[in-house]
Order: sequence, then structure tokens, then C-alpha cells
Amino acid sequence: MATGDLAVERGAARLAAGARLLEDVERDDVVRRRRDRRSTAIGRLLFAAAFFAAWELSSGRIVDQFFVSKPSAIAASWWAMLTKESLLYHLQFTIVEALAGYLIGAVAGLIFGFALARSELVYRIVEPFVVGFYGIPRIALAPLFILWFGIGISSKIAVAAVMVFFIVFINTIAGIRAAPPQLLQVARVMGASEWDLVRKVIFPAATPFIIAALQITVPQAMIGAIVGEFISSNRGVGHLLSRAAGWLDTPGLFAGIFTLLVVVLLMNLGITSLGNHLMRWNPKHHSLKDVP
Amino acid sequence: MAATSGVIEARNVFKAFVARSHRQQRAFLALHAVTLSVAPGRFVSFVGPSGCGKSTLLNMVAGLIRPTQGEIWYKSRPVGGINTDVGYITQDDNLLPWRTLVENVEVALEFRGVAQAERHSRAERYIARVGLAGFEHHYPHELSGGMRKRTALIRTLIYEPDVILMDEPFGPLDAQTRVILQDELLKLWEGSGKTIVFVTHDLVEAIALSDEIVLFSRAPGTIKRVYEVPLARPRDVFRVHADPRFPAFYDQLWRDLKEEISQMDLEGAVHGHG
Ligand SMILES: Nc1ncnc2c1ncn2[C@@H]1O[C@H](COP(=O)(O)OP(=O)(O)O)[C@@H](O)[C@H]1O
Ligand SMILES: [Mg+2]
Repeated sequence: MATGDLAVERGAARLAAGARLLEDVERDDVVRRRRDRRSTAIGRLLFAAAFFAAWELSSGRIVDQFFVSKPSAIAASWWAMLTKESLLYHLQFTIVEALAGYLIGAVAGLIFGFALARSELVYRIVEPFVVGFYGIPRIALAPLFILWFGIGISSKIAVAAVMVFFIVFINTIAGIRAAPPQLLQVARVMGASEWDLVRKVIFPAATPFIIAALQITVPQAMIGAIVGEFISSNRGVGHLLSRAAGWLDTPGLFAGIFTLLVVVLLMNLGITSLGNHLMRWNPKHHSLKDVP
Repeated sequence: MAATSGVIEARNVFKAFVARSHRQQRAFLALHAVTLSVAPGRFVSFVGPSGCGKSTLLNMVAGLIRPTQGEIWYKSRPVGGINTDVGYITQDDNLLPWRTLVENVEVALEFRGVAQAERHSRAERYIARVGLAGFEHHYPHELSGGMRKRTALIRTLIYEPDVILMDEPFGPLDAQTRVILQDELLKLWEGSGKTIVFVTHDLVEAIALSDEIVLFSRAPGTIKRVYEVPLARPRDVFRVHADPRFPAFYDQLWRDLKEEISQMDLEGAVHGHG
């Protein structure tokens, strides 16, 4: 009886020691992660500072300021754009064009991808045509779209949409075809309907491909919108850029480019967090760290 | 063999496949004149040399492929399309990697339109029964091989199919986990009235679990012999060797199987298991 109690006590002590150890490990992990995050942020700030400082100092000394301008001049020019040339007004068109083109292209790419890849015969029939269309330099379609849709916002949306469509479409097909056939078979035997298969097996299996396509097409949508504006437009950041180029205004060009860069970065951030959420099951997306 | 009372019946089944190589195709037989009847409630094992068509036969019972000639009958009806009345457990656990353990266990019930509350309560019961409580929200990559296999097992048992097809389900597991899972499987099956068709390359496993063992010849597979396992139930899988009827039965089974395994296969097996 007494020895039994002792054993229970020892067991309890061991458990408590184990729990303490785990607590320590968790606390260390929190501290380490916070430190990692801080180092990353500081590193990025330093990198940006060094980059701009090098640019500022070399401009006019090592390279001709006419060609590369310099950060201080660009900032001034950006401020002038914002206050005198109604940058936000122009930006709003560019963003709407890029976003609408992106959504239309992505949704169409997904729908067509699913429709096509589900039938082996249909896929084999249209595959060479898809590859052929994909081979067209899509930018070359921009003048055609302006002919079709006019110089307003819709022609730019169309250009952005084709830039996105093919990449999403082709990746969707690749993703669907990569779904393991055994998973499909087992799901069928378990009683899955065709719609169940698409929603619960095929789509999740294809998400790594789809997310990758959705990420790489964000800047593509922006390219489509800007190129459309270059060709003919009196609104949008592309219009501001081509006007600045006409005036040989290098700081103005850089100011426009940086504005676009920030917009694309923000769009990318949104897609990345969506991707991380959809891919939370994927071991590659986790950082399982073992403890020293 | 009463050829009319089986829940699964193969009637003179042939299956041919076409092997395509560069500009040339050659048809070959995977199964040759297979006639078989599996009585309801029995635990039947298929053994035979690798490549003799055991998986092919299971695929036909599940309706995933059709016989080239002959018919597979299931519950007095020829199998037409996918046979959603059976459960199918394969060597790969085929868990959906984007679903947590409990979501995987519930998936078949979702396909079958069972309401959420009912799904949860059934899943909880089965998860507890195989000792996986506490791991419900882990993704498959966060589970051990044995845990994944248990998950695959209960996600099929949960919709209570009358017939469960198992294709070398414990193949990839380590020896200890294997025996433990054999034991759990027997406990889940005994008294359930379910029919199990179990493919294995492990004769001890076949003897420990089955009522009946079907031995296939080497490819193209035909049924060479059907044995009634002489061991009494309930069985202790940890101690089947100790049963006095085990050694003679094992020897006979092995002798018959050995004839079917070519010299080449024997060498392969020795290296493979080395
Ligand atoms: N879908 C298929 N296409 C072509 N050949 C196949 C297919 N499935 C199986 N086979 C062939 O049929 C034979 C039997 O295979 P299988 O049923 O997997 O054997 P076992 O499960 O008994 O090892 C093998 O030669 C295999 O290559
Ligand atoms: Mg097999």
C-alpha cells in the first residue's frame, strides 16, 4: 500500500517535471520567434536604407542624374504628383482595371480549367489549341482590344484579364490532372458524387497550383492595365507615366513606378494570406521545428 | 461451394490488360476463369504471388474496372457502376491531406448526406474506439503510420458497409503495429456480421485472421485452392503460432504457394525482405 502511494507520487512528480519542461520549451519558442521577426524587420529596413543611400549618393557622382534621378527628387516629384496631378484620381482607374481584369481572368481561368480537365477526350481535343493561344504574346492583343472595346476602362480590363486568364487556366488544368487517381477512386467507392469529387478532392488537390498561378498573375494584371493605358488613354497611372516620359521627367517616371510597386505588393499580400489559409494542411507550409 | 448464396460472386471472370510500349501493344491476361463465392459474414483472405490479379479482382468488386469476360455479382446483382455499397481500404491510406483526422473520418458520411450532428457523434465514437481521441484536429502528415491506418480503417467502418475489401492494408507498417492492428481489426469485426475480403502476402496474417483462404496461381491468376482455416474463434493474433493446428496448416499453405512462385520471385522475395 505504502509503496504503491510512493510510486503514484513519483509518477506525479515526473509528470510535473515534464510539464515544466514543455512550458520552458514553449516560452523559449515564443522568445525565439519574436527575435526572428525583429531581426527580419530590422534587416529589411537596413537593406532599404542602404539601397536608397547608395542611390542618392551615386546619383550625379558616378552615374548621370538625368537617367537614374535620385530618391529625394523622386519623393518630391511623387508629392507633386499627389497634390498637383491628382495621382489618386489616376491610380483609382489603374487599380480598378487591374483588379477587375484579375478577377475576371482568374475566375474564367478556373471555370474553363475545371470544365476542360474533367474530360479526357475534350482535353485531348483542345490541348494543342490552348497551347497555341498561350503562345501568343498577350501584350500584342492590346491594340486589338482597344479597337474592340474603345479607349475607355473596359479595353484595359480585357488586356489585364487575358494576361491572367491563360496562366490560371493552364495551372488549373495541371493541378487537376495532378490529383492522385487513387484518392478519386476511394472517394467514389465511399459514395462521392461528381460535385463532391470536384469540391472536396479535386479542388483541394489542385490548390497548390492554383495559388501559385494566382500569385504570379498579380503583377501580370498590372502589366495589362498599364500597357493598355500606354497605348491610348487620358487617365490612369500608365497615362501619367507616358506623359512623364514625353517630358523627359525621370523623377516623375520613378515616382509612378514606385506607386505601382506598392499597389502590386499590397495585392500580393492579400493573395499570399489567402494561399496560406487554403494551404494550411500542407506540410511544406508549416514550420515544424524540433527542439534542441 | 454453393455458387448461389454468396454476397460476392465471380462467375468465370477473365480480365485482360493492354501493355503499350513504343508503337506496339500487347494484351495479356491478369485473371483467367476465376469463379468464386464469398458467403456473407465471412472473413476471406486472398493470397498468391505478386501480380496474379488479386487487386484487380478487388477493383472489379468495387466496380472501378469491368471484367473483360464473365461477371461479378454483388448481393445477387451484377456489378454495373461504382459499387458504393462496399468499403475499400487500400495499402496506401489515401487520407485526404487537406482534412484533419476527424474530417477524414467524416468524409464518407458527408458524401452520403448524413447530418452534421450525427456525423460528429459517430466519428467521436469510432475515434475513441481505436484510441485516437485527442488527435482529432491533426492533419495526416502529423500522424504516425499506425494512426493513419487506424483513421483509414474507421473512416470506412463508420458508414457500416456490409462488405469491406482490404488490399494489403497493413503492408507498409512495422511488425509490431501490424499485429496490434490485426488484433483491433478482429475485435471490430467479430460479431459485426460484416464480410471482409482481405488481400495479403503474409501467410501468418491470413491464417490468424481468416475463416477461409483463397490461393491464387501465378499470373494469369486462377484460383488454385480454397482452404478452411482450422483454428477456432475467438483468436489471439499474438499467439497464433502456439495453436497446435497452426504448423501443419501453415506448411501446407506455404508448400502450395511455393510452387507458384518462380525461382526469380523467390530471389526477389529474399532480397526484398532482407
Ligand atoms: N490498370 C492496369 N493497366 C494495365 N495493367 C494492369 C492494370 N492493373 C493491373 N495490371 C496488371 O495486371 C496484373 C495483376 O495486377 P494486380 O491485380 O495488381 O496483382 P496483385 O494485386 O495480385 O499483385 C499485373 O501484371 C499488373 O501489371
Ligand atoms: Mg496488389
